[in-house]
Amino acid sequence: MTTDTQSVDLVDAEVVEQFARAAVLAALISAMAYVSIPLPFSPVPFTLQVLFVFLAGLLLGPVWGPVSLLLYLLAGAVGLPVFAGGTGGLGVLLGQTGGYLWSYPIAAFLIGYLTHRGVDLADPAERSPIALGVILLAGLAIIYGMGVPWMAYVLTLDLVEAFVLGAAAFIPLDLIKLLAAVAIVQSGRMPVGEG
Amino acid sequence: MLVYEPDDTVAHRLDPRSKLAVQIGFAIAALAHTSRRPLLALTALTLVILWSAGVRPFRAIYAYRYALPFLVFAPLVAGLTLGEPWFDVTDASQSAAASYRVFLVIVVSAAYVRSTPVRASRAAIQRTVPGKPGQVVGMGVALVFRFLPLLRDDVRTIRDASAARLGTERGLLERTTHLGTGTLERAFRRADRLSLALQARCFAWNPTLPPLAFSGLDVPAFGLALLLVGTATL
Repeated sequence: MTTDTQSVDLVDAEVVEQFARAAVLAALISAMAYVSIPLPFSPVPFTLQVLFVFLAGLLLGPVWGPVSLLLYLLAGAVGLPVFAGGTGGLGVLLGQTGGYLWSYPIAAFLIGYLTHRGVDLADPAERSPIALGVILLAGLAIIYGMGVPWMAYVLTLDLVEAFVLGAAAFIPLDLIKLLAAVAIVQSGRMPVGEG
Repeated sequence: MLVYEPDDTVAHRLDPRSKLAVQIGFAIAALAHTSRRPLLALTALTLVILWSAGVRPFRAIYAYRYALPFLVFAPLVAGLTLGEPWFDVTDASQSAAASYRVFLVIVVSAAYVRSTPVRASRAAIQRTVPGKPGQVVGMGVALVFRFLPLLRDDVRTIRDASAARLGTERGLLERTTHLGTGTLERAFRRADRLSLALQARCFAWNPTLPPLAFSGLDVPAFGLALLLVGTATL
């Protein structure tokens, strides 16, 4: 058995705060795997995980936003029931929707970087709703840009077929989440930045 | 729901790292093949792996049933063509084989999920990813495990309260915004209390972890992982 014998190396207070937020947000995204708002006009389930990918980038920034999403993916990989429908396991990350899952940290990074114009956190509510909307659209483009080709590859579909199967029905719903993310950030109820 | 269950199967006695290696090897082998014989071999191997963890095949299939609609629709979408012959059977059957192997890759993880407690996974992550990044992800995964039930309760409370006030009659955008704001407010309050508690308890970069050790059983498991990766080149 090995034991760490060096003296205790405490984590800085700011790091603890951001880390705690990233971890709790990862748990919240996981909890959202069980929420599905039924839609009367569509068989596609309306789940909220993409909303929190947007919010991770907007509120936690380009460092801790992606960390939060990586924690979410790792928690799923080691078997916690965090993916859609309350499933877990490494296989889901390599299955047909794996491309979407892997794109989440990258999308959160892009959204965080563009919103905060660098790695220092600013208040995203100061950006105009139009600017936030454009930034989130770029994030959404990353999500589909990775999700659709991966689905095409593992299911041996061409890109148009993969788009029909894995994107067409979801994009209108994601636009609603995009509007909701902008509204949430500008509600003035979100704590932002250090402490 | 499929989660960790204490037991004494072969898989429960393996080191988590060898189980992860087998899953990665299995996925690499599966994604390299769509013809019939490799798929039969992988199916047999899936059954053996599930058996080794004490998971009945139907239970694993049921646990991952959410993936089935996609995998059933994929061959249909692949086969449909605009114009003659309207439905291309070759395209469809190729996609059906591809969907099937994807389902095997997903179902195999049931063995790991049932046989590995979170703290063993955490130790495996921290022994594999060195230094502070390893600490952050190891601790983070443990916290996600701890907070998941609490936040599920938060989400349920907010949805129940909203439904009691006829929130379900509102538009989708309004409902999404309301749920997002409420859950995030609660989550960030929890995060701030957690951060205070972590600092009060000397949250450090170098805590002591449970011991992990490879046993004789892990040698064949790693051998199997390497063999599976090797078959991808066949």
